[in-house]
Amino acid sequence: MREIISNIFKGIWVEQTQSEPPVLTNDTVLLDTGLDSLGFAIVVTRLEEELGYDPFSISEDAYYPQTFGEFVEFYELHRPKA
Amino acid sequence: MSVEDVGALIQLLVACDGHCEALLLLSGSLPADDVESLAQEARIDMIVSDRTDLHSARPVSEVLEMAPGQPGSSITPCKTEWIMTTSGTTGRPKMISHTLESLSRTVSRPTEGAQQNIWGLVYDPTRFAGMQVVLQSLLGGGVLVVSSPQDSMGQRLALFGNEGITHLSATPTLWRRFLMQPEISSLALRQITLGGEIADQTILDALHRQFSDARIVHIYASTELGVGFSVKDLREGFPAAWLDQAPGSIAMRITEGTLRIKAATTSAASGAEQQMAPDDDGYLDTQDTVEKIGGRVLFRGRDNGTVNIGGVKIYPETVEQILNARPEVMISHVFSKKNPFSGNILIAEVVISPGIDNEADLKTDLLRHCRDKLPKEAVPALIRVVPDIILNPAGKVRRS
Repeated sequence: MREIISNIFKGIWVEQTQSEPPVLTNDTVLLDTGLDSLGFAIVVTRLEEELGYDPFSISEDAYYPQTFGEFVEFYELHRPKA
Repeated sequence: MSVEDVGALIQLLVACDGHCEALLLLSGSLPADDVESLAQEARIDMIVSDRTDLHSARPVSEVLEMAPGQPGSSITPCKTEWIMTTSGTTGRPKMISHTLESLSRTVSRPTEGAQQNIWGLVYDPTRFAGMQVVLQSLLGGGVLVVSSPQDSMGQRLALFGNEGITHLSATPTLWRRFLMQPEISSLALRQITLGGEIADQTILDALHRQFSDARIVHIYASTELGVGFSVKDLREGFPAAWLDQAPGSIAMRITEGTLRIKAATTSAASGAEQQMAPDDDGYLDTQDTVEKIGGRVLFRGRDNGTVNIGGVKIYPETVEQILNARPEVMISHVFSKKNPFSGNILIAEVVISPGIDNEADLKTDLLRHCRDKLPKEAVPALIRVVPDIILNPAGKVRRS
């Protein structure tokens, strides 16, 4: 999961900024990476295409992750049961 | 005036109101050509600016020296028209006329012994929403905290935290970004205002969770109509009971799926009457599509075909034209999808010409093509290659 998210994130980062993507750790603050909210909107849309679900629409809670670690955790938490 | 320094802008407004026929307030970030052409259109005599790229402009200090009360000033008092701009869908700002009186109608005056309100400013002060914050904070006896335009979102929130702001007004898109910043926890807000876009239940809930003691208000305003109302019950949309008895001096109803409003007193929005004719009962079409569900009226989007992506109005048809211009694309359909980070996002479905086998390369190529031709908000988040696109009986791409 972490790898899929990380790859999609980096792909969009390169697309948007035409430069080397940053190193992502659990503590990386999402909006400090240089990707703006529109960039994250694209990440979530492409992840839904890839994974088949969008935790933000599944979740009952209104949640806005701040760090990369929280973002990955949120996707793992809401992964549909097989 | 096109002034970047908010402090200087406020000094200018104080000096000029009541002493000139009209003030044209333009954003400090508006391209120089647009400043000149709008000034010409509004028949402005003098441009004041602290920018270096406006060659015909007079510096702020020079104009402040000419102000009444200064020795040698021969300016006589008069009623001043405040001309502000609203974002048009064509990219060029549209001018709307106000007065200080009409702009400060909703400002609550300071009351004895009340706690002082400290406002953060995140909007452009030359736009309606930003001016509301400026007037509310200063005329209301409060404090206005302004960050430098160069500050990052995190630095801005940290400044607001240090200054102890209690009131903050922003669009749902901006609020979503604030909530993603760790610095948000340094704020102790008493009042949160959302406006300019549809406030959905998710953002209202997220704000209520972060600021459980704050009053959370979402504003519906039609700048063209010069009317609006605020909703304070922490729920999206507004109570359906307001269709029978609306708050304030307005009346509302739903006709053909859009919200219609009748204002008891027409406000200063002078541009409105020319564009929009009221129906026989005096109701004006807001062009906002709404749906009545249970006891609630919910906003669905715009009836004029635009979608709001991160605060920018986009016509999906424009994006389709850009895609259709490519020889590899036979037909395309661009539509919006709700998104927690930007309100909405665009998705493009394309039918491609026979004989193209590398879909991944083509998608990358089409996205690059869109990025070259369109503002970033209009670039689809995703391109899907599909076998066919459903057309309506008129042979047009179906829009729902």
